[in-house]
Amino acid sequence: MNSVPVAPTPGSAPQGLRLLLNALSLKRVLLALALALAAAAALNPFFVTPFPVVLGRVLVISMVLLLAFTLAGMWQTSWLPRWLAQVLAVFLAAPVATVAVYLPSVGGNVQNVLRHEGMVWGVLLITGTALLIAPVLALGALYRERDAQARNQQLQFELERSTFEKQALDARLQLLHAQVEPHFLFNTLANVQALVETGSPRAAPVLQNLIAYLRAAMPTLGEVQSTLGSELKLVRAYLELMQMRMPDRLAFAIDVAPEMAGVRFPSMALLTLVENAIRHGIDPGEQGGRIDVGARRDAASGELQLWVEDSGVGLRETAQPGTGLANLRARLAAFYGPAARLELLEATPHGVRAQIAFAPAEVRPS
Amino acid sequence: MTGPTALIADDEPLLRERLRAHLARLWPELGVVAEARNGREAVELFDTHAPQIVFLDVHMPGMNGIEAARSVARRAQIVFVTAYEQYAVQAFEQGALDYLVKPFDEQRLADTVQRLQARLAAARVAPTPETAAAGAIDTLLDSLATELKRRGAAAARGHLQWIKASVGASVRLIPVEQVAYLRADEKYTLVVWDGGEALIRKSIRELADDLDPERFAQIHRSVIVNLHQVAQVHRGPNETAEVEMKGRKDVLPVSRSFVHLFRQM
Repeated sequence: MNSVPVAPTPGSAPQGLRLLLNALSLKRVLLALALALAAAAALNPFFVTPFPVVLGRVLVISMVLLLAFTLAGMWQTSWLPRWLAQVLAVFLAAPVATVAVYLPSVGGNVQNVLRHEGMVWGVLLITGTALLIAPVLALGALYRERDAQARNQQLQFELERSTFEKQALDARLQLLHAQVEPHFLFNTLANVQALVETGSPRAAPVLQNLIAYLRAAMPTLGEVQSTLGSELKLVRAYLELMQMRMPDRLAFAIDVAPEMAGVRFPSMALLTLVENAIRHGIDPGEQGGRIDVGARRDAASGELQLWVEDSGVGLRETAQPGTGLANLRARLAAFYGPAARLELLEATPHGVRAQIAFAPAEVRPS
Repeated sequence: MTGPTALIADDEPLLRERLRAHLARLWPELGVVAEARNGREAVELFDTHAPQIVFLDVHMPGMNGIEAARSVARRAQIVFVTAYEQYAVQAFEQGALDYLVKPFDEQRLADTVQRLQARLAAARVAPTPETAAAGAIDTLLDSLATELKRRGAAAARGHLQWIKASVGASVRLIPVEQVAYLRADEKYTLVVWDGGEALIRKSIRELADDLDPERFAQIHRSVIVNLHQVAQVHRGPNETAEVEMKGRKDVLPVSRSFVHLFRQM
């Protein structure tokens, strides 16, 4: 929560004043003075009064009108568009201001102004000029505001896109870090050692699985994408290693139709879910459990659904979510677009089901 | 007179077998009287067989090796077995506790066997262990158990990280960072998150207590909002305000007593 802009309340005096001073920028004041100068020059032929006096009066009026224009701009309401409020404010302020600047010369009596034909003409002329200029200014402001809004939105879009790209990049960088947990590696090696020492025929296939796993899990620069088929091979290698280590606690099944093997798939994505299922579901429980990996294609939408379901200890509501899932979510979005979903469900009677749904980018016959 | 006895506790059967096979070769007189698959079984089998030596894997499901050691520490010689818990290894070094790092070679085990034989011989001469050292070991095991629990993400009472919500026939597990806001809906609470909406039974009051206050704020008697998903706050009349959410049309009320939350922003 770095910046949450708070809209102004016109009522609160010190803040309102500060905002007013902010709104009355030097640029605005100079523009108003310049317009006043031009208006004075244009109106001069119609007045008998000497030019400096006309100029003085017009300058005062222009400042009053600027104030009215700015105040109306700050007054926010839903039933009147801002630009109209500003035009109306100028329209109402112009005759009042004009009458006011005449007042000193007629002894402060409004009646005198209205009786003086020249002054009435002056009021009408200045009000008319103000009416010509005000809408132009208001529309200019409106236009700039729209422009700023569009730019703002553009910036927002760009920010979102770059956040998205950063997440995808982070997720890729995460892949580049060693994925192999030392605890997993050394425990597995200890098991291999046991098999080798006893001359077990299982040693060779177990080593094969370990090699397949390590090769996939080693940081690589190029292999960001994979196919579902090779992901499933990796998942099987990993699960077989885990089953060798905990034969009494882990059962698993992988049930994915062979024709899905060619689907483009982010590398290590499915493995992340299976590793989570072992780490948070199977490993903490004395009884262990089952892991089922499956896939289904929705005939109507063409959407592909993949799931990893364990019957382990389940998720406590206060369990700290690792970065793995958030990362995977970002990678799926980068890979398949924002429609890709990663959802976690409670499995019955216990355990967790993690499922990914996405529209496959392309399906190659395998 | 029967030879010394030992118990092996490890959740991985191949590793139990291997240790047993090597011990048989290096120390034929030692009788491995029981094998346990977790800490709970280790303690139970220890009580049944009362072996002089216990080999305890540190990482085991349910009750781990350190916890098991706490309940048998004064009654047996303990050898910890660990794959990578460096902090544990450091602690074992400090406390002069015996340990094996997996995968270990036979020479390393032979050293351990020698030490164990020496200690058992000493214990026969002076059967009561010096209590100061035993106390130090208890303290060490206590702190290790706490550390292990902390690392195992089993923090005692953390904030709510997942919200369980029924969606159709299934129960969704929603990570709290995806939740935009929660709003009381009669006796239920409506959860609105990146993936949809659902009603849960927990009350706003309970949720306000359980959620991380760094991320979530109650802004109204019936509304809790994820501060990371707030786009803007507009002040309204009478010291109230409204919250606009990122990427949503929803506008949430901020009541007078919660407006101060946004004042400094």
